[in-house]
Amino acid sequence: MEKQIAANAKPTAPHSPKVKVRMESLSQIRKIILTLLMSGFALLMVMPFIWMISTSFKSPADVFTYPIQWIPSSLNWEHHIKVWSGADTFATYYLNSLKISLISTIGAVFLSAFAAYGFARIQFKGRETLFLIYLSMMMVPPQVLFVPKFLMFEWVGIYNTHWALILPGMFTIFGVFMLRQFFLSVPSEISEAAFIDGAGHLRIFFRLILPLAKPALATLAIIDFSWHWNDYENALVFLIDKDLYTVPLGLQNFILENNVDYNGMMAAATAGIIPMIIVFLVGQHYIIQGVAGSAVKG
Amino acid sequence: MHKSWMKRQSRLGYLFIGPNMIGVLLFFIIPAVYSFYLMFTDYKFMSPETNFVGLDNIRRMLNDDLFGVALRNTFVFLLAVPVSMGLAFIVAVALNKSVYWQKTLRALYFMPYITSGVAIAFVWMLLFQPTSGPINGFLRGIGITNPPGWLSTTEWSMYAIDIIWIWFMLGYNMIIYLAALQEIPEELVEAARIDGARPWQTIRQVIWPLVSPTTFLLLITGLIMTIKNFGIIQAITQGGPGNSTTVLSLFIYQNAFRYYEMGYAAAISWALFAIIMVFTVLQWLGQKRWVHY
Repeated sequence: MEKQIAANAKPTAPHSPKVKVRMESLSQIRKIILTLLMSGFALLMVMPFIWMISTSFKSPADVFTYPIQWIPSSLNWEHHIKVWSGADTFATYYLNSLKISLISTIGAVFLSAFAAYGFARIQFKGRETLFLIYLSMMMVPPQVLFVPKFLMFEWVGIYNTHWALILPGMFTIFGVFMLRQFFLSVPSEISEAAFIDGAGHLRIFFRLILPLAKPALATLAIIDFSWHWNDYENALVFLIDKDLYTVPLGLQNFILENNVDYNGMMAAATAGIIPMIIVFLVGQHYIIQGVAGSAVKG
Repeated sequence: MHKSWMKRQSRLGYLFIGPNMIGVLLFFIIPAVYSFYLMFTDYKFMSPETNFVGLDNIRRMLNDDLFGVALRNTFVFLLAVPVSMGLAFIVAVALNKSVYWQKTLRALYFMPYITSGVAIAFVWMLLFQPTSGPINGFLRGIGITNPPGWLSTTEWSMYAIDIIWIWFMLGYNMIIYLAALQEIPEELVEAARIDGARPWQTIRQVIWPLVSPTTFLLLITGLIMTIKNFGIIQAITQGGPGNSTTVLSLFIYQNAFRYYEMGYAAAISWALFAIIMVFTVLQWLGQKRWVHY
């Protein structure tokens, strides 16, 4: 590789101090230009969000005026009020989403940690085969599982209840995979010392490994929570009653019922997005780390 | 090693994995097996009887014009993956070192990815509005008198979805590329610079080959992620206009829960599985042959 570069590049004279100073200010300028370019492109990326928020405050007549009115001529709160009041409101959807996401996430983190410890730290018969089965399940698209799950939930009577989302939500193969990866990276000397002191696996798991894994657990919790909060497909298949709707379904419902009220639509979309933006701002570090780590290692 | 000790270890192992295993069995393995069985039946929801029909569903699928349409739309949908990756690579290289406000910029690019869901679908629906939407307003503004009808026309609808998906995936791809770029030893880039390589040459001949495993990984995982997704399309177009945005994953959902053709839906879902399987095998082979850590 380096040879290629040497062949392509013209030989340059060693830099004199003067040239060096000039180059530094040159790279400074380059840095500023690049920053401006990248900021412009970033602005383009978030423009749909800005347009959404600004439209939610506009009057109906101003939605499609061109050039775009980024700052509404008057702040109209009525669209937001409409979203949050009435028969089926976003308050209900928020509560439902919060309930489902929280219970699922807590369950998933705990159950994944337990299983991941077993896979990473205990030698037992059939471990490799079992793990392989787990991994192969990651290949199965959700569409394969929808119909059988639908029939199963009908049969046990949890179809069209929140349990149809919470129970399967507590099991995440990705979570087991990710935490196993983390537990494998904890040096075995730590648990060996505890073994010699007479501690068993349960004690080591609760007293040593879990506290050490706090960042990994937080990462999984945030990623899992956002996944549940945004999950539209499962809710679409397993819920019918409006009072059970989660935020994505509620949003769809609102838009079906108000399909010409563009301001209301954007107020509803804003309501649907805000919680995740807050979670993102708080847990940015974990989300980015978790996403990057899982892909690079996985 | 002691036999009784091994036994105790095994018991403990199952104790730890057991709770999770029950769930995986109930919500993954049993449904998967059952779906495999359904593929060979004519099961319709609430129908009086179910018959074993052998390969009829698969034969029907291969002769179904709509299946062909859905397959073609799926491939158009998948085009978004490499495009999004290309843009993400450029952004990642630019953001890796030589800019101010790195953290803020990263967060902004990543924003669409966490707000996944129907909300953004509806925002884009209005942005793409053909007669008075802001995107076509802009296009007219720069002199395009006859801008595309986007989501309302069969020619453009799938590409409009592609644009949304490129936007959505860009932040994710960028973060993974950034992680890969940070693994590259400083000395290599420095050496290239001292050898007189221009920035463009360094990117093409040093950085790009070094991140090739990441490119490959992103391509395959991106294809898998995309091929499974149907929420965004269901929310915006429900597969229309006509069947112009009916991708395979949405086609399965429609057959199962709109027409209650559950046996048929199961068959198509296993076709989807077969495609994912091909990608997964490629990834596995790729890891052995191209990935040089």
